[in-house]
Amino acid sequence: MLRIQNLKARIGEKEILHGLDLTVNAGEVHAIMGPNGSGKSTLASVLAGRENVEVTAGSVTYLGQDLLALAPEKRAAAGLFLGFQYPVEIPGVANLYFLRTALNAMRRARGEEEVDAMDFLAIAKEKLKLVKWDQSFVQRGVNEGFSGGEKKKNEILQMAVLEPKLSILDEIDSGLDIDALRVVADGVNALRAPDRAFLLVTHYQRLLDYVKPDRVHVMAAGKIVKSGGPELALELEKTGYAGWVPERHGAGARP
Amino acid sequence: MNRAEESLQAALARPAPAGEPGFLAALRRAGADDFGRLLLPTTRHEEWRYTSLAGLADLALAPAEPGAAALPAGFALPPAPRLVLVNGRIDPSRTDLAGLPPGARVGSLAAAIRERPGAVEPLLGRGPFGDHAFAALSDALFADGLHLELPAGVAVEAPIHVVHLTLAGAGQAVGAFPRSLLLLGEAARAVVVEHWTGSGSYLAAGLTQASLGERSALELVRVQDEAPGAFHVGLVGVSQLGGSRFTSRSVALGARLARVETRAVLAGEETENHVDGLYVASGSQVHDHFIHVDHARPHGLSREWVKGILDGSARGVFTGRVLVRAGAQKTDASQVSSNLLLSEEATVDTRPQLEILADDVKCSHGGTVGQLDEDALFYLRSRGLDRATARALLTWAFAAEMVERLPAPVREGVRRLVTARLPDGARLQEAA
Ligand SMILES: Nc1ncnc2c1ncn2[C@@H]1O[C@H](COP(=O)(O)OP(=O)(O)OP(=O)(O)O)[C@@H](O)[C@H]1O
Ligand SMILES: [Mg+2]
Repeated sequence: MLRIQNLKARIGEKEILHGLDLTVNAGEVHAIMGPNGSGKSTLASVLAGRENVEVTAGSVTYLGQDLLALAPEKRAAAGLFLGFQYPVEIPGVANLYFLRTALNAMRRARGEEEVDAMDFLAIAKEKLKLVKWDQSFVQRGVNEGFSGGEKKKNEILQMAVLEPKLSILDEIDSGLDIDALRVVADGVNALRAPDRAFLLVTHYQRLLDYVKPDRVHVMAAGKIVKSGGPELALELEKTGYAGWVPERHGAGARP
Repeated sequence: MNRAEESLQAALARPAPAGEPGFLAALRRAGADDFGRLLLPTTRHEEWRYTSLAGLADLALAPAEPGAAALPAGFALPPAPRLVLVNGRIDPSRTDLAGLPPGARVGSLAAAIRERPGAVEPLLGRGPFGDHAFAALSDALFADGLHLELPAGVAVEAPIHVVHLTLAGAGQAVGAFPRSLLLLGEAARAVVVEHWTGSGSYLAAGLTQASLGERSALELVRVQDEAPGAFHVGLVGVSQLGGSRFTSRSVALGARLARVETRAVLAGEETENHVDGLYVASGSQVHDHFIHVDHARPHGLSREWVKGILDGSARGVFTGRVLVRAGAQKTDASQVSSNLLLSEEATVDTRPQLEILADDVKCSHGGTVGQLDEDALFYLRSRGLDRATARALLTWAFAAEMVERLPAPVREGVRRLVTARLPDGARLQEAA
């Protein structure tokens, strides 16, 4: 589904991804862990099409297409979803309207019929149950005044409405209370299917207790330095990144 | 003298309408004399430094004739109670003043002057626009406008609409000078909505004077959607007694050049004065908001907030002047100008002017000029909205904050007018 080869990217003058390789197959859940500043969010940004990150080398193939050639909205229409580490507040745009506009934009792009306001309300009601929210949250501005955890739940709500093929969730578990973590995990698990995949960026094992990953990767200094099964996350929980992080920028990681 | 001044002088030289009371004749003479001395302001005039009337100077303005001409395309009359003026004169066939409570006097200013000159005379002065060229023109040339008089305790729940249509014929620019007088007795309440629109090339120069009795409340909504060839000058003078609350909500969309000048005197204690503005300017439009709040008595509160959206090579001007007089302790005044620039060529000049002569006051001002937020744009695009729609939605979001503050009955109509003006606004027909 997703194949990243030798990806190098920079923001301004600073190279952040130094030749990254990663393959995610349909039906799989992958977790990426790694120290602060190692480039996890930058990778997520490149995949979603953020323009301030410049790709200098490598390739990304998504469902057989050259992902990097597509505008962000085309990637979304192709079923790619990024759950932001820091979701943006957009006062003045009602959450419900935003959700419907997003859904219809994608349906249009795929040549499907748009849903009208009434039908959408029914869809939204159903999805709200998933995040255990009442309607007040979708009547407010997008993320406007939402707490940190509420913003993350809103990302899950959007994911549930848009039903993406590949969901990249960047620290979706940060700042969540125990119940909210369950909600988020349920949101992910509800969407799991043989034709969908997930890339979870996380710092903690606890999300992985609820959403069992097929593969766990360690990212350090802009590269994947180690990959393994679910047990790798448990190991990291004990040992930390000490062995994996290069002493100085540019030095090689442990093989 | 330029062409506009010559044509205005010619209009001023015409004999005044017959049958007007003596005080009005004197008012008109003084106005004509003052205009002859002042002429149109230029950018050498401090208060007009950023707003050049050079385009207006080239127009020869004929006196606007009354007419039952067709409404501009796409304009539908608001519901009653409504007063419709065409070229500064009331059009009785389109006016409908149904739905007013007993005791409320709502109608023609010219009729009020005819029927009750003694009651109108003391209120018809220039108020805070003493040496203003357009107020002098108004005195000399006004024909009619809204006269609203609410006795103590009378509240009008439905918004009173005043439609100002200026319809210029092909090849002939006209000038219209509607004049409105709003008088609220103790604890009276009203919402007045002025709609300004028209067709062709013209000057619409309105003067609206409001006098608020103790604990009364007036909300004045101005929807300025003039024709692209129009020059709009709107003067709003307000005097407030103790405990009263004045709210002005101005939405400025049309005209080649538009200036709204609001001057309020808070003459009683514990008065509130709110001035909101939203303007959308593109092409080479110039939109100027000039607000002067005079805190004369203690415990007054004033809030000025103007938001501008500028595209193309449009220019915005904001002057927020707050005067806190020596005795006006515990005044709480704030003024904010927030601007969104959608192009490289658009510009805004913001001038806060605080003059504070009391020592126990809270006064603040702030101004921002910014572009659309890249993080928000990316967030929307990552959810499938194309760039143009994402930009339109964020631009609308900036405007929506002001539109939401409008009284419910006019909000939807204004929302449509505003979205139609925004770049790619057609993509948002059902926003919010
Ligand atoms: N706009 C920017 N300009 C300059 N440097 C940037 C910019 N954005 C990110 N960086 C840098 O790129 C590096 C990688 O940042 P990134 O956000 O991808 O890290 P991360 O792995 O997601 O970290 P965290 O775990 O703290 O979220 C950091 O050193 C960061 O300071
Ligand atoms: Mg990050």
